[in-house]
Amino acid sequence: MPVGYSIYVERPSLIHQRIDPRTKLAALGAVFVLALAFNHPAVLGGILVLVLLAAQLAQLSWRSLLPAMVGSLWFLVLSLLIWPFYVKGGPSLFILFGSTISVNGVLFGLAMGLRVALMVLAAGVWMMTTSPQKLTVGLLRLGLPYKAGVAMTAAIRFVPLLNAERITITEAQQARALDLKRENPFNRAVKSIAIIGPLFVRSIDVAQSLALALEARGFAARDGRTSIVQIGMTTTDRIILIALAAACLLAIGLRILGIGLITRAYL
Amino acid sequence: MAEPVQLQRMEPAIDVSEVRFRYSASGPEVLHDVSLRVEQGEYVALIGQNGGGKTTLAKHFNGLLKPVAGVVRTMGVDTRGPSVAELARTVGYVYQNPDHQIFAQKVRTEVAFGPHNLKLPPEEAARRVDEALELVGLREYADEFAFSLGRGLRQKLAVASVLAMSPPVLVVDEPTTGLDLQGSRNILDLLGRWNADGRTIIVITHDLALVAERVPRTVVISGGRIIADGATSTVLSEADLLGKAFLRPPQVTRVAQRLQKFGIASDVMTVAQLRAQLRLALGE
Ligand SMILES: Nc1ncnc2c1ncn2[C@@H]1O[C@H](COP(=O)(O)OP(=O)(O)OP(=O)(O)O)[C@@H](O)[C@H]1O
Ligand SMILES: [Mg+2]
Repeated sequence: MPVGYSIYVERPSLIHQRIDPRTKLAALGAVFVLALAFNHPAVLGGILVLVLLAAQLAQLSWRSLLPAMVGSLWFLVLSLLIWPFYVKGGPSLFILFGSTISVNGVLFGLAMGLRVALMVLAAGVWMMTTSPQKLTVGLLRLGLPYKAGVAMTAAIRFVPLLNAERITITEAQQARALDLKRENPFNRAVKSIAIIGPLFVRSIDVAQSLALALEARGFAARDGRTSIVQIGMTTTDRIILIALAAACLLAIGLRILGIGLITRAYL
Repeated sequence: MAEPVQLQRMEPAIDVSEVRFRYSASGPEVLHDVSLRVEQGEYVALIGQNGGGKTTLAKHFNGLLKPVAGVVRTMGVDTRGPSVAELARTVGYVYQNPDHQIFAQKVRTEVAFGPHNLKLPPEEAARRVDEALELVGLREYADEFAFSLGRGLRQKLAVASVLAMSPPVLVVDEPTTGLDLQGSRNILDLLGRWNADGRTIIVITHDLALVAERVPRTVVISGGRIIADGATSTVLSEADLLGKAFLRPPQVTRVAQRLQKFGIASDVMTVAQLRAQLRLALGE
């Protein structure tokens, strides 16, 4: 069965192959902490550049990052349009709809857009560089129950599978002259049932047979499972973890001191 | 919606000319220079090994896929123009798995979905639904729950829901998978009856024995190329050719071919034919 897409892209890079999935998870967490700790666009922009550098190091193509970037751009525009009406301070620029637009407002809008971009891109890079299998093993080592681990991998596996199903169903209904694009919004909602219905039934079908197949192969017969995927922390991992922890502590400290902020009024 | 596609008597039902296709710009070419002409009123089987390109080719007939190079015309209309939904008036397409299309509660509502999409007047739609249900033998199930039907009946329901749109050309992708012999025969017979009304049928299947019994013309696809095309009795009796597509003649044909030196023809397709030949050879 042709599969629509998978988020993870295998590459022979250091980040893909050498770094422990737990470290990568920690790095993602750290980026989130940093993104929330600062609200100055220069700082957030700097961190964003670091994330993009990591993507380069991981040999990810710009093209694969494009969807995340375009998505974030929308947020950037939106937040540039909204925040200046709420955040004041600094030299005034102009007056719009009876509201004074100030430098700080624009900077804060920029920062919020960059913050979303940062989180989205970091999550994207993380998913593209961390194989679901290794991640699961990593989480199991961190104490995740093994059944939850399998559920997680299955869920990740489900996304492309259900997408393929959705495409097939849409094609089958198009062949029955269903043309959602030509309907008015109300009819479109009503007629979407022709796609949602079978998709629902198919997902239940697939889930049920997956459950059976797992059981038939002895899943949950013993407490716990072994795995052919081997992971382990190296010195590199430890250095990275220490650096991440230091960065987070520093960021929190700076936040308390009020450095790297446009305003203290908002997060 | 545009005017219904005109039924022009002289146009071939399907005219595929030098078509090349790949699923993505960087992906491998899946159809290489395929040309195929199916006249109106023909009943054609498309056979070949898994991944040979049968479905890919068939999806070109109703515009679900558009050729990367070459032209596909159905009833004289270039498929690059109209949308799939518009082409659905001309070409019906039944998917392999009925569960990919069944969504309505009642059998009747399911079958009526296509006719309603075509904006047929209610009486006309109702008549078509009844006809289609009658034809596939689901009449007494009209008010049953669609999902509660067994696999064979769901397959018939899927066929009926496309027949109700009364397309002059019908493409059916592997209607016999998962069905027992009885169910498979039923489906092919009903396609035969539909064909007897002068409609064009293209059926994709792996069931060569049934093709041999019931379908007059056979096209073999292998590795994205048409490697054989002709009368079923000719195509299915050429063991060497079929071998290239990892197929082999139906069992009864192979038996007949072993008996060639006793004067049995090598293109026997059915048990009845073999029996007649044997009678002849034995001088009865
Ligand atoms: N959606 C798709 N994306 C990419 N490649 C595809 C897609 N669908 C099919 N293919 C590839 O195209 C080739 C032809 O596939 P196709 O489904 O047309 O074969 P088929 O003859 O219908 O096989 P089967 O008997 O298994 O149904 C195969 O190599 C297949 O992997
Ligand atoms: Mg197929």
